Amino acid sequence: MPKRLAVVVFGSLIAAANVAGAGTVIGKLELPSAPERPPSGTRGFLDRVENPLAPARRLAVTAEMIVVLEGAKPSAPGQVTWELVGDSFARRVVGVPLGAEVVIKNVTRNTARTLVAAEDPKLIPAGPINPTGSKSFRPAAAGQVFTVGDKDAPHLKGVLVVVDSPYVANVDDNGKFEIDNVAEGSYKLRVFYKNAWLDVTTDVTVGKGKTEVNPKVPALPVAPGKK
Amino acid sequence: MFLSKIWLFLVALAAAVALTVALVLPQPASRALAKEEQQRLVVACTVVDVLLGVDARNRVELAGAFARRDEIVSALEQASGLASIDEARMKAVRDVGESVMKTIEGDRKPTFAMLIDRKGRVVARVGIDSKDFGDVVAGRPLVDDALAGYLRDDVWAHNGTMYFVSAAPVIKRDPPVPYVGAIVLGHAVTSDLSKRLVGSLAVDLGFYLGKDAVVGSRTLTVDQAPMLGVISKATGEDLRADCSASPLLPVTNGKENYTAVVARLPGEVQAKQGYYAVFIKRPEAIGFAGMLGKITKGDISAPSLWILAGGGFVLMLGLGIVFMFLESDRPLKRLTADAVRLAKGETEKLAEDAHAGKYGSIARSVNIHIDKVGRDAKNAKKDLDQLLGPAPEGSLGTIDLLATALPAVRPGGAAPAAAPPPSDFRFNDGGGARSAPPRPPTPPPVRATPPSGVATPPPRPTGSLVATTPPPSPSSSLGDALVDDILGGGNSGPTSSNVPEDPYFKEIYEQFVSTKKDCGEPTSGLTFAKFAEKLVRNREDLIAKTGCKEVKFTVYVKDGKAALKATPVKDEA
Repeated sequence: MPKRLAVVVFGSLIAAANVAGAGTVIGKLELPSAPERPPSGTRGFLDRVENPLAPARRLAVTAEMIVVLEGAKPSAPGQVTWELVGDSFARRVVGVPLGAEVVIKNVTRNTARTLVAAEDPKLIPAGPINPTGSKSFRPAAAGQVFTVGDKDAPHLKGVLVVVDSPYVANVDDNGKFEIDNVAEGSYKLRVFYKNAWLDVTTDVTVGKGKTEVNPKVPALPVAPGKK
Repeated sequence: MFLSKIWLFLVALAAAVALTVALVLPQPASRALAKEEQQRLVVACTVVDVLLGVDARNRVELAGAFARRDEIVSALEQASGLASIDEARMKAVRDVGESVMKTIEGDRKPTFAMLIDRKGRVVARVGIDSKDFGDVVAGRPLVDDALAGYLRDDVWAHNGTMYFVSAAPVIKRDPPVPYVGAIVLGHAVTSDLSKRLVGSLAVDLGFYLGKDAVVGSRTLTVDQAPMLGVISKATGEDLRADCSASPLLPVTNGKENYTAVVARLPGEVQAKQGYYAVFIKRPEAIGFAGMLGKITKGDISAPSLWILAGGGFVLMLGLGIVFMFLESDRPLKRLTADAVRLAKGETEKLAEDAHAGKYGSIARSVNIHIDKVGRDAKNAKKDLDQLLGPAPEGSLGTIDLLATALPAVRPGGAAPAAAPPPSDFRFNDGGGARSAPPRPPTPPPVRATPPSGVATPPPRPTGSLVATTPPPSPSSSLGDALVDDILGGGNSGPTSSNVPEDPYFKEIYEQFVSTKKDCGEPTSGLTFAKFAEKLVRNREDLIAKTGCKEVKFTVYVKDGKAALKATPVKDEA
């Protein structure tokens, strides 16, 4: 599985982004203190018990976070690959430029999955995605958020966000992100977390070379879990 | 008879009540038993839930101990630092896992173990799918929690098998005490586990995944639709309350009837409608026959039971006998004795007042009939007087005239074609066709020459209310008899100066006086002259009316009184 600390840049998938005079946007989100890990959606016969040796790890919020530079239309959206690595997606939240083809690839060796988008059951072609197999589709409208899951594996959830921009990036565990091949111009940086856009909008002017931006993220909503 | 009837009514009522109780009483008992069984079922379900919790705690502790093993920590620490997991790494870690698994014995030994690195990748599997590795299981709540530092349990389903799983984080104890992975242990839910859970509860247990029966303490083929319906409608978040909140369901396994209660299973299988059901055999409706069938020797061996039953029986029987004796046997004996006295002539009527109830009514009926017979006799006398002329009335008492033979042609008319039957008189004679009982031996009539002394009155048939006229004389050539009773009492006969001093009449007179004395009758007004005069007049009347040549007189006792009868004799033998 690719290291989440690495910045995932979708610009490499977009041929149109390889333009002359393009710059790079780097930055680090100023994150609030990570919330404690809420009780998971399921429990066993007993409540979970924290181990006595080390404090429990906090919730890794950045794994479910993406940043988007809005202000440019995706001219050649290309293809976005979304890997299914077992009982979870490699990226729990993925941003897809409008018009890009989404390819869900099952990289496991022994588990077939039948994925369905809750908001649009016809979005993903019907049928299971066998091990090492894949299915592709193309979202039709920007701004849509799809929750993709397998009814046989309720814990398997991924969120697909369709954005009207070619510049989308994931965030590493430290909140850092990097977007390459950004055309010069003015953009608005937005942050998507879990299943909704955060109230974070930062103006970014991109020139040649690197442009750094460090937007501040307010307190994150934590979905109430079950105790 | 009142007490006897009341007693019979009470006995019948008691029997009806006993029968009703016997038939009805098992029903509430059956309901109470069914209710107790249902309560026991709910308790058993709750106990199963508690035992599952205890089992989960043991499994979590086992996972914690497994994760604390140094070789496990070391193996996962090394794997976590790798970009990818190769087969060699997988085998090395799997060997470590297998060696640790071997140290776990008995029921605690897991069915499988998953060794997961810090990134959520499965480095190795032991027990099941042991060749698979590298896939990411992070994302499953149990694994996510374990990687975050929590110990917990869950219920998984895989390829139709249900697993109780537990997980623990793997932590390196050296500073800075980093998390290096997690381990997951799985115990298959088996029939043996089900039996252990309900071993002491005398119920059955089954685990289900939606429409599929997974495993149970016993193979029960039941309709799962009602149970699944309850599970589908269950919405409460507290699964522990399911046992008491779920309705009790009647289910059948072939010909066996069960009551079931269902409860949701927690964890991942909850999304697949995983649940367990506790079954208890429904008690059969007891009923009267069923209750009899359940009786054991111990139930009927209690001495007090038989003493009570025997005493009750003897008491009821004794009371019944006493009432029958008081109200039936004793009055009947009294009536019988009274009737015997009547038959013996010791009394003229039955003592009505001495008999109560129906017996008094019988006595009154008999007395009424006696009175009627008396009236009929008087009427008969009148008729005979019209035929023979007035009978001598006086102090002679009763005089019977018996004609042993009638002339073939009676003066003034033809003789009857056939001899009339002997006149009988019976009490309670139901029909004329009934034949008369055998006649008692008849004493021979007193003959004029030579006189045979006082004729012995014919013996009365004891115990029978039959008055029979004296039989005809054996010397009668006609064989027909006519019996007439003439009651004497008047003094209207001829004067004594006209009566000859006949020695035969004298002999008859003396017999008659003697008999009257024997019967305790007064003889003061009875003189030979009057007596002989009456005999003469009756002899003459009989000779004139029957054509006979001689008349014989016989003294006998009738109804305790001296009586005299005249017998016409056609030819003197």
